[in-house]
Amino acid sequence: MDEEDELPLLTAVSSSARQLYLLLRCINFAEKAHVQINEGGLQFSVDEASVMEGSAFISKDLFTTYTFRAPAPQRPSQREIGDSDDEEDEDPDETLPTFQISLPALLETLQIFGLTDTNTSKPPWARDNPASTATGGAFTNNVLGMNNMCRIAYDAPGSPLSIVLTEATIRTTCNLTTYEPAFNEEIPFDRQALALKTIMRGTWLYDAVSELSSTSPEKLTLWARTRGRKPYFALSSSGTLGSARVEFNNTPIRPPPPSNPPADTPPPASNLLETFQLSDPTSTFRASYKFSLIQRAARAMSVATKVSVRVDEQGVLSLQFMIEVEAGKVSFVDFRFVPLVEEDENEGDETQFLGGEGEESDGSVMEDEDERRA
Amino acid sequence: MVVLNFTLTPEAASKIHDLLVCLGKFSDTVAIEARRERLTFTALNSSKSAYAALTLEGKQFFSTYECIPSHGGLDGRFACSMYTKALLSVFKGRLYDPLGRDGAIDRCEVSVQDRADETQCRFIVKMICNQGVIKTYKLTYEAVDVMHALFDRNSATNRWSMNAGAMKEYIEFFGTKTEMLDIFAGEDGRAVFKSYTEKISNGKEILKHPLVTAVAVNTSDFEEFKVQPGLHIVISVKDFKAIVIHADTLKTSLKAYYSHPTRPLQFSYGCDGLLCEFTLMTSGDYNGATAPTPAPAPQIASRVASRAVSAATAEARDNRSMPPPVEPASRRSARREVGSRQPSSPPTRPQDDPESLFVNQGEEEDTQWEPVDYNNEEEALGWDASTDRNAGNFATFQDSGSFSRSDGVQGNADSMEGIAPTQRVSQIKGLW
Repeated sequence: MDEEDELPLLTAVSSSARQLYLLLRCINFAEKAHVQINEGGLQFSVDEASVMEGSAFISKDLFTTYTFRAPAPQRPSQREIGDSDDEEDEDPDETLPTFQISLPALLETLQIFGLTDTNTSKPPWARDNPASTATGGAFTNNVLGMNNMCRIAYDAPGSPLSIVLTEATIRTTCNLTTYEPAFNEEIPFDRQALALKTIMRGTWLYDAVSELSSTSPEKLTLWARTRGRKPYFALSSSGTLGSARVEFNNTPIRPPPPSNPPADTPPPASNLLETFQLSDPTSTFRASYKFSLIQRAARAMSVATKVSVRVDEQGVLSLQFMIEVEAGKVSFVDFRFVPLVEEDENEGDETQFLGGEGEESDGSVMEDEDERRA
Repeated sequence: MVVLNFTLTPEAASKIHDLLVCLGKFSDTVAIEARRERLTFTALNSSKSAYAALTLEGKQFFSTYECIPSHGGLDGRFACSMYTKALLSVFKGRLYDPLGRDGAIDRCEVSVQDRADETQCRFIVKMICNQGVIKTYKLTYEAVDVMHALFDRNSATNRWSMNAGAMKEYIEFFGTKTEMLDIFAGEDGRAVFKSYTEKISNGKEILKHPLVTAVAVNTSDFEEFKVQPGLHIVISVKDFKAIVIHADTLKTSLKAYYSHPTRPLQFSYGCDGLLCEFTLMTSGDYNGATAPTPAPAPQIASRVASRAVSAATAEARDNRSMPPPVEPASRRSARREVGSRQPSSPPTRPQDDPESLFVNQGEEEDTQWEPVDYNNEEEALGWDASTDRNAGNFATFQDSGSFSRSDGVQGNADSMEGIAPTQRVSQIKGLW
């Protein structure tokens, strides 16, 4: 039933709406999302006041079938909403279909059959019964993997995005209105001029951000430096009740005691920061961002296997999350943040950290020294 | 400059979490008082009817413990007060995870930054996790003087002790909205814990829906039960629940000490260097079997014998500490004078109070007793800044060790008169 139509610009069938849902949920912080369809998959991007943007790329690998027919250039009759030459990556002149869609509505749609999602936390009675009573035996839809078919079709520019969810004998068709794309300038991020790049586990970052949120801070400051080839990365914030800082040191100050062996902790125990690059290793890197914006990426942090934290020379922060939606298949969700302008008050912050930290093995005076050297 | 550094194991840090959760049920702020050999968390609820002191032994509870107060010599202390919520956000749950998963810590280092050359004073908590993650919190604190409620166990003739786990099962039956808990020692070998709500109707208007739950427990189920038969004693259910739940986290036995209604009741439990004491105001059926008459005598006796008593009797009345606001300003100033000439104040005063103070009255009868002996009303508060129940000379009020108030109970009683119990000693420093 998925290949019945030759006409649509896009036809994609996924065996589970759950993966799409998991990915799109990560960027669910705005009403409207831009969708761009290209050969490789679907690009969903949302933006907040042009200071933050998030995008999720749903690769065609996540679909069992993915058919994209690039609109023929000689298609003047159709509305010219597709010219997305503002997208920097797929800049070639071809007109890729782009539209806006209501993200919350899309997420609601994908959840319609959440009850039979085997992996959800729904109670078993709600999960098993429909399928087993419908067909039963070895040929249940669950066994055949047919329980939760999701078919996405986009006929032509201007037409609604049609999502057909098939489950057992129930078929639901949702047509989501598409909107004209708004002029949407991407936050410029210069991959060639990075000031900082580090890769770590997503949960570490999630943990750090949730720790810092206890101080109900306004802004989040990133610190990074290298000393004696040892990387150091820290996030700090301060609020009315005090300040908090979470540091990541690649070399544990002391090895984990044998008394509580890290049972399920993966090898990164020794390498907290898998990659660590500073453009200027002699100085301390510092940049501040609005905390509430960073927090919007929290869901992505919590589900991501890894996160790549990059900051370019201008201070734009890019968080790229690698999310494993299914064993072996990874997808990426990106966030970009515009930095806050540094104020003088930050100097006070820094001295505070220097003073407070003074005693610990390697953490202390290095900032000081680094700066003197610089 | 104060030196306070200590290190906690994950287990100990998790215990701090538990105790903060418990203290958080009493007060929004928690005071920390550090001495050379121990650290005490105290909380006093807003109505001053419940006081909690959780003492951590320096050598036993901590991996390392060092405290050098800036002044006061051996008896010196460093005290500060913080939002319970702020501390709780640092000492989260699941700090101790035997599997060493995320969020588990390797150790926790706490220090206080209080130096003349620092612009900021901070309470610094450093959580060191296994994989090289270090979480540092710098919390603001308020320097305060901590006052302690005194309790004399010698005069608390009624006592019982029970496994906290068993007690926890009983409290689950209490209605969530009930306010009071009546602990009744029956004559038939049973103790009855009855939770109920007072003043459910005002005239014809029903204010609250009454739900009375009575849990009868065989006294043989107690580890110890020595209570005068027929004695009712009434405390707050909420406090009791908080205490039992915390005692249960330590898997220990909860011990109760009390004399009779309107006198303080103390719950005590602890293990592994953690000693928890909760002193609660009580009310009760003072017309009942617990004749008020026997009470005063032991009180006097113990007062004479040990000075702790003044305080002991006193804290029962932390509920009575409410009266001070109504006192006229003129009187307050008068009493301040008394306080200021405390060294010469007559030693006879304590003898006065048995008559006035130890008449058993409910707190509702404030009007009865309050005018009777105004001077001693303050004495009734019995706050002691020294925590040390057994110490001979009691400093009922002490200003962080800067004054060595060793001139005995009279002086203290008088010095107390200068201060409303709700007032920080630091606020009246100018008097001396």
